[in-house]
Amino acid sequence: MVERILLVEDDPRLAEMLSEYLGQAGFHITVAALGAAALERLSGAQFDAIVLDLMLPDMDGLDLCREVRAKSDTPVLMLTGRGDAVDRIVGLELGADDYLPKPFQPRELLARLRAILRRRVRGRIAAEQSLHFGRLEIDTAARAVRLDGVQCDLTGYQFDLLLALAEKAGRVLSRDLLMDLVKGEHLEAFDRSIDVHMSRIRAAIEDDPKKPRRVITVRGAGYVFAKAQD
Amino acid sequence: MLRLYLRFYLALVASLVLFVLATVTLWHFTGGPMEQTGITLGRLVQNVLPPADSPAAEQQEALRRLATGLHGDVTLFDQEGMPIAAIGRSLHTPPDVHHEGMPFTLWSREHASYVHLADGRWLAASVPIGYSHPRFMFHAALALLALAIGIAAYPIVRQITGRLERLQRGVESLGAGHLTARVAVEGRDEVARLAESFNRAAGQIEQLVQGHKTLLANASHELRTPLARIRLAVELMKASADAKLKLGLEQDIAELDWLVDEILLASRLDAVTDALATEELDVLALAAEECARYDGAQLEGKVVNIRGDARLLRRLLRNLLENARRHGAPPTQVRVARDAGNATITVWDDGPGVPQAEFENVFRPFYRPGDARDRAGTGLGLALVRQIAHRHGGDARCTVMADGRSCFVVTLPAGASS
Repeated sequence: MVERILLVEDDPRLAEMLSEYLGQAGFHITVAALGAAALERLSGAQFDAIVLDLMLPDMDGLDLCREVRAKSDTPVLMLTGRGDAVDRIVGLELGADDYLPKPFQPRELLARLRAILRRRVRGRIAAEQSLHFGRLEIDTAARAVRLDGVQCDLTGYQFDLLLALAEKAGRVLSRDLLMDLVKGEHLEAFDRSIDVHMSRIRAAIEDDPKKPRRVITVRGAGYVFAKAQD
Repeated sequence: MLRLYLRFYLALVASLVLFVLATVTLWHFTGGPMEQTGITLGRLVQNVLPPADSPAAEQQEALRRLATGLHGDVTLFDQEGMPIAAIGRSLHTPPDVHHEGMPFTLWSREHASYVHLADGRWLAASVPIGYSHPRFMFHAALALLALAIGIAAYPIVRQITGRLERLQRGVESLGAGHLTARVAVEGRDEVARLAESFNRAAGQIEQLVQGHKTLLANASHELRTPLARIRLAVELMKASADAKLKLGLEQDIAELDWLVDEILLASRLDAVTDALATEELDVLALAAEECARYDGAQLEGKVVNIRGDARLLRRLLRNLLENARRHGAPPTQVRVARDAGNATITVWDDGPGVPQAEFENVFRPFYRPGDARDRAGTGLGLALVRQIAHRHGGDARCTVMADGRSCFVVTLPAGASS
C-alpha cells in the first residue's frame, strides 16, 4: 500500500524537493502551499500523515494543526525554522505527533515519518511505549531498537541496559546503578563486565562505534545516554 | 531606607513643631502683646474711673459714661468684691481665681468678663473685654493648628507618595520583563502625567520587543528554509556526486546553521527577557554529550545537578569546545566540579592560551585579537557563553591555572533562574 502524505509547505522549491525525496522513499505526496489549500485537500481525500510547516503565509501552522486535530486523527509532523522550545511544547500539546527543526537531516525526516505512521497502525497506546532520540527509536512494546527505521541487533540484556540508560537520558549512571537497574529481571551471566555489553550496544546503534555519540563513557563516573541526538 | 511618604510627613511635622516653638519663644521675648493689652486695659479703666474712695454716685456716673454704647451690663466691685456701681443688671462677684492682674472671662455661670484694676477694684461686663488666659489660648491655638495640619496632611502625603510607589512598582515590573505591566492613571497632576508617560513608554517597549521577536522568528524561518533545501539537494545528489564534495557541503550547511543560530540567539538573549525554561540538569552528563561531538575532548569531574535551560547550556558548552577547537590545540580538557553550591565548568587546551591582557576582551562580541591570525568563527561564541552564564545567574571568565596556562571558568548557581 502506498502511503499518502499531505505536505503543507509554502516554499515551492523545498516542497518540490521534499516531494521528490519522499517520493523516492515510496510515499505518495500531495503538496499544499497554503493553509486554506491544505484544509481543502483534507476535506477531499484521506491522508495517512501530514507534514506541516509551522510558518505559512496565510495562517499559523499551529492553528492549522488545531483544526486538523479537531477533525481527524491523521498524524502530524511539524517542520519549523524557529527551533524554539516553546513552539515545540505548544505544537505537541495541540496534537502534533512529532516535530523537526529546519534544517533537518532528510534521513531523520524519513525515520520520524515512518515512526509516526507505524504508531498510527499500532495505535496510540503503543506509541507512548516507544522512545525517540533523533534517528533512533527504542520500541519498548516490541523490545526492538531501530536506527533510521532499520532494526538493530541486541540481546535481551543489552536491550534492558540500553532502555535503563535511555529512560534516564541526560543523567550520568554509574556501573553499579546500571547493574541494579537491570539485574532484577535477568539472571544472565554477570561475569562479563558491563563494558563489554556497552561496546556491543555501541556497535549496534552508533554511526561510528569508535566515536560514540549516543552511549557515552564518562571517565570515573559511568555512562550517559545522550538526550540530544542527530 | 526611609520611605518617601514618611520622609515627607516627618519633614512636615518637624517644620510644624519648629514653627510652634519659634512662635512661642518670640511671644516670650516680646512680653506677649495680648497679655500687655490686658494690663493696659486695667490701667486705662482705672484712669477713666474716679478713685476708689470717691462717692458711689460719682463712680456710678463714671461707669455710665464708660458703658455708653456697650450694649451690655457693667458692674464695678470694690477690693472686697462688693458691688459699688452697676449699669443694667448686677453681675456676679468676681471669683477668687489666679489671674495675675490680667482680665479673665468666665463662661460657666453667665457670660461675664472681669478686669482687675491696679488699685484692686474689679470691673465686670457681660460683653467680652480683654483676653482671658491669652498665653494658654495662644499656645492651644497654635497646637491645635499644628495638629490639624499634621492630621490633614497625612492622607494627602500618603496618597501622593502612594501613587509614586505604585508607579515605581510598575517600572520595576517592566524592568523584570513583564512587558504588559501598566499603572493606573489617577488624578490630573504631574504624577498622573508621569504615569501616562510610563504607560506610553511601556507600550512602545512592548511593541518593539514584540516586533523584535517576530523579526527573529521570521528571520530564523527565512534563513533555515534555504538551508533545508540545500540539505535535501545534497541528499538527492546521492550517486552522482563524490562523497568528499558531499561531506564538504554538509559541513558548510552545518556551519551556516550554527551561524544563524548564534546570531539569532545573541540578539534574542539581548532583547527578550522571557523567563528561562529551566529544568533539573546533570551538568556532567550534558558536558559528556557535548564532548562526544569533539575529537580529543576529555572530560572529568563529578555529577552536579543544577536547574537551567538545557538548550542554552548545551550552546555554552559547545561554544567553549568550539573555541578550543578553532583557536587552541588538542586535547581539550573539560572539568565539571561542585564548588559551594555552584556548578563550575573549567575548559582548557594545549594551545597558546589567552594572554592575560585579553582576558576580558575575548568576551566582547565580534572582538578579534590584535594579530587577527585566524578569522574563523562568528565572533559571538564567547560573548554568548557569558550571556548564557549571566542569564543563569552565574558568570564566565578567563583566568590563570596553577601551571600558568589560561582557562575558561563558568560558574552556575545550583538553583539558577533568570
